[in-house]
Amino acid sequence: MAENMMAFPELRHPFEKTPIHPTGSTTVLYQGNNITLGETGEGDGLLIRPQDLPRVNGFELKPEGACYQDRCVPLNDTLMAEQNGAQWFNLTAFADLMGQPYVADLDARVWSFAELPAKRENMMLNAMAPDFKISDRQGNVIRMADLKGKKALIVTWSSW
Amino acid sequence: MPVWQQVYAEINDPNFVLICVAEDTGGEAVAGPIFDAADPTYVQVIDTDHIISSAFNFVNVPSSAWIDEEGRIVRIDEGTYSKIHEFGEGDQTITFGNDVYTPALKDWIANGADSKHVQSAATVTANIRDYTPEQFKADAAFRLGNLFRSHGENDKADQYWEMARALNPDSVNFFRQNLTLTEEGSAGEQFMTFMGEYVAQGKDYYRPLDIE
Repeated sequence: MAENMMAFPELRHPFEKTPIHPTGSTTVLYQGNNITLGETGEGDGLLIRPQDLPRVNGFELKPEGACYQDRCVPLNDTLMAEQNGAQWFNLTAFADLMGQPYVADLDARVWSFAELPAKRENMMLNAMAPDFKISDRQGNVIRMADLKGKKALIVTWSSW
Repeated sequence: MPVWQQVYAEINDPNFVLICVAEDTGGEAVAGPIFDAADPTYVQVIDTDHIISSAFNFVNVPSSAWIDEEGRIVRIDEGTYSKIHEFGEGDQTITFGNDVYTPALKDWIANGADSKHVQSAATVTANIRDYTPEQFKADAAFRLGNLFRSHGENDKADQYWEMARALNPDSVNFFRQNLTLTEEGSAGEQFMTFMGEYVAQGKDYYRPLDIE
């Protein structure tokens, strides 16, 4: 039965060993995105350049704080660090503050962040579909917002 | 997937979007040919990181969400079968699925908020699974494992997939995805044992199909 239920077992994960990123770089995984950062700060957490924040998690720095849509998180000395005259945003301190779990492989310099629980609140409380962004097989990017004005059925399946 | 193409063609409504999402770390190589065999005109996604299951707190496939024009979920997380399927022959025949889901879907497409199959926000939110910090973290671990797998670092991939399994033991998706790498595959003895224990513990991997 297993053979009947699982298609193409011989094709599973035949991946060659390849570098995850250029030597010295750091990779951040979030919402299916794979972001390579050429420069990070020193320390135990993950310090990123403030200008990298939007492409990492959609937030951007404004006078009110780190903002996503109409929600802003005030900055403090834990979230912003200065090293050698440069400003850094402490992404792991931000995640801790927001209750956003993450897993890091420090040897490989890869940080994988879970979804921000705050981005799910509207689904959990009001049944509103969560924001997501995903690409179809043709490479078209599909966002939840793109489906507004239409009825949508999203069905998961698998080959296994 | 051919049956969903048939349903999509029968509905034939420009204001209806069908998105079929393969939760498959094997990617295009394993899911692509199955899509292609259906000659689909619906939106096809190969979701190697299980982003959609995570977004809607699903633990198994096939599951689904109905989303109305305003972005509100009006049904969620039911075993999403468009017909009754049969596998095998004689005494070995296995049947699953139902013949009520597709008519309900068509009724909703035709009648919108007036369809009796539209559920209230209270019912939908009750059907959305809670997601603990451990389950959020499991998603992060799973994707980290996927990254290592896709770069040929299988030891590290296994390490983080096991972490994901430990953090979210209720995810049938994680368990069966892991089993794809074993000799017995995703529907062998380990799977049967897992599902037996799952059900014996009173857990559900879909919400009840509340359609008459």
